[in-house]
Amino acid sequence: MTTGDVARAPALFLRNATGLVKGWSAFDAFGYSFLSVNLVTLGMFYSLAVFAFVPDGSVLSALLLSGVAMTFLCITYAGLIAVMPRAGGDYVWQTRILDGIPGAVVGALVGGITLYLASQAFGLDSTIALVGGVVGVVGGGLLGLKRGGIGFVLSTTGWWFILALWAPIYGYILNIEFVQPLAALSGWADGLTFFASSAGTFTVSVATIVIASGLVALGMAGYARIQRWSIYIGLIALAVMFVLMLVSSQDTFKAAFDREGQSLFGVSGAYQATIDNATTNDAFVAGGSPLDFGLGGGTWLLLPFMMFWILYPNWGATLYGEVRGAGDFRKVLNGMLGGLWVTIILAIAFVLLAAKTFGWDFFNATNVNFINYAYGYVTAAPAIPIWGYPPLLAAFLIDSHVIQMIIVVIFGVWFLGWAGTLWLSSTRMIFAAAFDRVLPEWAARVSDRGVPWTALLLIMIPGVIVSYLYSFVTGFSKLTLDASLVIAVTFFGTAIAATILPWWKKDLYEKSPIVRYQVGGLPLISIAGAITTIFLGFVLWEWLSNALYGIGTGNTQSIQFLAVLYGLAALVYVVARLYRRSQGVDLDAIHAEIPAE
Amino acid sequence: MRIFFATDIHGSEVCWRKFLNAGKFHKADVLVMGGDMTGKAMVPIVARANDWRLTLQDQEHILSTEDEVRAMEKRILDRGYYPIRLSADEVAAWDADPALVEARFKAEMLTSVQRWMDLADERLKGSPIRCVVSPANDDIFELDPIIAAAEQVELGEQNTIAFDGFTMVSTGWANPTPWNTFRELPEDQLRSRIDDLLAEVPDRRRAIFNFHAPPFGSNLDNAPKLDANMRYVSGGQALIPVGSHAVRDSIVAYEPVLSLHGHIHEGRGAVKIGRTLAVNPGSTYEDGVLQAAIVDLDSKKGEVKRYLLVNG
Repeated sequence: MTTGDVARAPALFLRNATGLVKGWSAFDAFGYSFLSVNLVTLGMFYSLAVFAFVPDGSVLSALLLSGVAMTFLCITYAGLIAVMPRAGGDYVWQTRILDGIPGAVVGALVGGITLYLASQAFGLDSTIALVGGVVGVVGGGLLGLKRGGIGFVLSTTGWWFILALWAPIYGYILNIEFVQPLAALSGWADGLTFFASSAGTFTVSVATIVIASGLVALGMAGYARIQRWSIYIGLIALAVMFVLMLVSSQDTFKAAFDREGQSLFGVSGAYQATIDNATTNDAFVAGGSPLDFGLGGGTWLLLPFMMFWILYPNWGATLYGEVRGAGDFRKVLNGMLGGLWVTIILAIAFVLLAAKTFGWDFFNATNVNFINYAYGYVTAAPAIPIWGYPPLLAAFLIDSHVIQMIIVVIFGVWFLGWAGTLWLSSTRMIFAAAFDRVLPEWAARVSDRGVPWTALLLIMIPGVIVSYLYSFVTGFSKLTLDASLVIAVTFFGTAIAATILPWWKKDLYEKSPIVRYQVGGLPLISIAGAITTIFLGFVLWEWLSNALYGIGTGNTQSIQFLAVLYGLAALVYVVARLYRRSQGVDLDAIHAEIPAE
Repeated sequence: MRIFFATDIHGSEVCWRKFLNAGKFHKADVLVMGGDMTGKAMVPIVARANDWRLTLQDQEHILSTEDEVRAMEKRILDRGYYPIRLSADEVAAWDADPALVEARFKAEMLTSVQRWMDLADERLKGSPIRCVVSPANDDIFELDPIIAAAEQVELGEQNTIAFDGFTMVSTGWANPTPWNTFRELPEDQLRSRIDDLLAEVPDRRRAIFNFHAPPFGSNLDNAPKLDANMRYVSGGQALIPVGSHAVRDSIVAYEPVLSLHGHIHEGRGAVKIGRTLAVNPGSTYEDGVLQAAIVDLDSKKGEVKRYLLVNG
């Protein structure tokens, strides 16, 4: 038997039957990916604001390498969607693939590392930590042996528990990109003082939780329209910002910033004061250019920072039409890659324009000056009391507070079109676990109007608690990158599952439309999965071992937080198994394959 | 009493074989197939001078031997499609004449269901396991007599079936869909049909509904919203309830112990509506994975003891 490309005659004769649709718009697939790797809310807020922390890193190289690495992630996920359409994501993929030895290995890895690091973080001596690691290896291995165990732990932490930390991060983004700039521009000094305080951060976080929950209650059908318009309006706003930056000189911007610094905050010579303040208080070293290209050590250290923003191009596009083939694989993949690479290109354009118009030294100085103070790394206040939010900086080029406010408000659509996804995946994860009887059935209850209030409460309550910790407990906001780390661990598990799929679940793979995609005789999904596994392994290693990122072994608060998440997930699974067994329900039966012959 | 309920296998040969073996495997007393048994697509295997050619999932295959053709036919059948051997001229004729396609579809559906019933008779003969099959909205009416004629299979549609103190009533009719399929009724007529069925049930609180359409707004009926051109709205992320008001209202009115549903492949789940446990095991028939619900009923108390949604 030989195989080849799609040929001329009709490949299928279809009849009129329920569920047969004509596909979907490629723009939609692009849109979800594009909003998920949100240039403004995630990129500008964090990843594109931390270059000063790695002064020898090449910005251009880091952006391009991030794009390349995430391309393999997209291939991995698009492949899994093609093999198991309508499975719903990581939970089912991992559950169906990671059983037996592979499940045990992944479980042992996660369990061993978690318990070893947790033992150290909780102050136990090295021998006990080592014993803890061994216990983790054995316990995680046993959990992984049972199909469903490691899938539940990794998916619950990555799609549900960690969203509690994303809640205050979303809130903080809304605060410094929307609320605080508007308070400053409107001359509401008391408001600015309040929202810059811990109570202000908590207030906006709770408001964000209410907004995100409200959008879930509204339903995706209604929210989808908001998202579509958010993309259109957001792109127009970004274009206006880029044009403003393109046609303005650095001197013009310097004068505008000095003018607004004086007018809004009473700071004279604010432009130079910002650079001086950063140099004095933040060990900022001027120099460099985003055009510097290289693959030195600094560039690789930038990659874990980039992942806070660019790790999620696979988010959302899980569709695969019924009675369809490889064409849908390409469509899903192209949607993801479109969202990823359009964002990467826009990010490159942004940093080049920032260097040209704001000045590279000023741009990095204003970021490091604010970040170090806001996250508690220094106690000296920054030169100006709000973050140099790039759309606000660009708006300063127009000498009108009203127009500046309008620009900030319009840029709010980048948040509006994105915030509704905060809880959406979590509710789906909770439903899937409840249907698998791991969670109680009340977790999946919906109101007469279809609103999953119970699931929402299971997310909102931890969200409020973690928002309180984030706002009021010293040092907790430094755990920001943990939000990405936990999701990366989930993706890491899925990437391993994708890598072994063609051999471990041969029958499933060989019936799929991606069996034709091979490179050098090896399945494309395995190559992409292996590269993604190695890349995410590198990123996780850096996050956990390098003090640069503030969340690794040097931060006991971070390790304790992570240990609580993974420990709680494992505990829920073990208790569920025991409880269901006492009810006569065998959870192993969920995935037991019935013989066909 | 243990019920094993699966639905919407749409022609998948491997799923039907698993279904027949599920009673023994999961120690079920009753197997229930909720309908939509027939396939949605035919794959032409085109005869050429020295080989055969076909395209499956956008991939062209050239088959040289009869063994290769048979292996491919099995693969196609397992996926839920009907493999059809044709000449190039026949393919062209079919492409030009929908009536030819329709006639062959009908023949394939009848042949495959007859084969499935024969297999059920063979595998379940001498077994205490009962098997109920109820065609649904995507299934042509000519299937009903074939199912009714099978020795080991009981036809669900329009019949009341008693087991262990419970009474199952079945209908594969659904509220209207955009596809205008075989068994669709306006909500008021669907409700009347259900009411007529319930008139024959002695104890309605011990009734088991086997209604293909899920209850409206139950989360068992969430499907991607479609536009006027039958394309997904918002990349399929916009889910809307498409279930039946008549089914929901009848569950609320009669309070059966259990309500079994399908129809919406994405709607896998279980919910309580009043005292009734309503389940939709969903379907991923193309993967060859049989999604199902196992429900244990307490005959003495007349209630659900436990349930589990499985992927076999």
